[in-house]
Amino acid sequence: MANLLFYLLSAAAVLSAIGVIAARSPVASVVSLLGTFFSLAVIYLLAGFQFMAAVQVLVYAGAIMVLFLFVVMLLGEGELAAAVESEPIFRRGRGALLATAVALALMGVGLFAVATAELAPLDPEAGRRGIDSALGLAEWMFVRYSLPFEAASLLLLATAVGVLVLAKRQRPGLPGATSRTGEGGAA
Amino acid sequence: MTVPTEHLLALAGVLFSLGVAGFFLRRNLIVVLMSIELMLNAANLTFLAASRHHSRVGAADLQGPVFGIFVIAVAAAEAAVGLALVIALYRRKQTVSLDRVDELRD
Repeated sequence: MANLLFYLLSAAAVLSAIGVIAARSPVASVVSLLGTFFSLAVIYLLAGFQFMAAVQVLVYAGAIMVLFLFVVMLLGEGELAAAVESEPIFRRGRGALLATAVALALMGVGLFAVATAELAPLDPEAGRRGIDSALGLAEWMFVRYSLPFEAASLLLLATAVGVLVLAKRQRPGLPGATSRTGEGGAA
Repeated sequence: MTVPTEHLLALAGVLFSLGVAGFFLRRNLIVVLMSIELMLNAANLTFLAASRHHSRVGAADLQGPVFGIFVIAVAAAEAAVGLALVIALYRRKQTVSLDRVDELRD
């Protein structure tokens, strides 16, 4: 039963991933990506990772996708779609063919490696009992990996500062500020 | 769930390749960023599959989930900076199409 659910969710994840890269409207892409994230969250749950499933839903589906949706709405879904509507959504030419070939080769190599790998037998009972207890996770994260944890906090701080600098509206007249009309006209 | 680890890894491989295809082929910068999120999620799935494979009853291997959390932190940082760049770009050039942003090409 759980196995069947896994294969159904895998199909859902792959189909919505295809939806992400094939949808014309960015909002449809965001919603498709949400489908992939939720499918993966349930797969994590089935595999025995309760905490990771919760983090996947809260952080990915809750925070990151809302950020994406927010930006899509901020830029104006109508304008964005109208500007893109008349043009093909995919790149064309030799580069695009090469990229498709690279992606297919990557998939082929990965699937070949997985198919020919001889893995040690796995103990499904461990997954059934749940693997990532918050207690165990805390010990690994704050004791064994405390340095990467601090590095991650620095990264997030740097991100917050960087985003403030990038997204701040530059006032005309300040040194380094470019006027909107000049740049827009040139484009 | 008694699904073999190989099937989890195969799913991750397919999702990653789809992310690669979207990253290279799409012209909309926002969708390119979403493709990166797709690839990071596939990487997360491999971490968790490996962790599940190495776990035994009473002896859980939590290296996978820990690095999964780090990947999620990096993904959040990447999304925030990437979307700030999108907004800055749109403010300057009124476009998010990568084919219209080619000052650094050639």
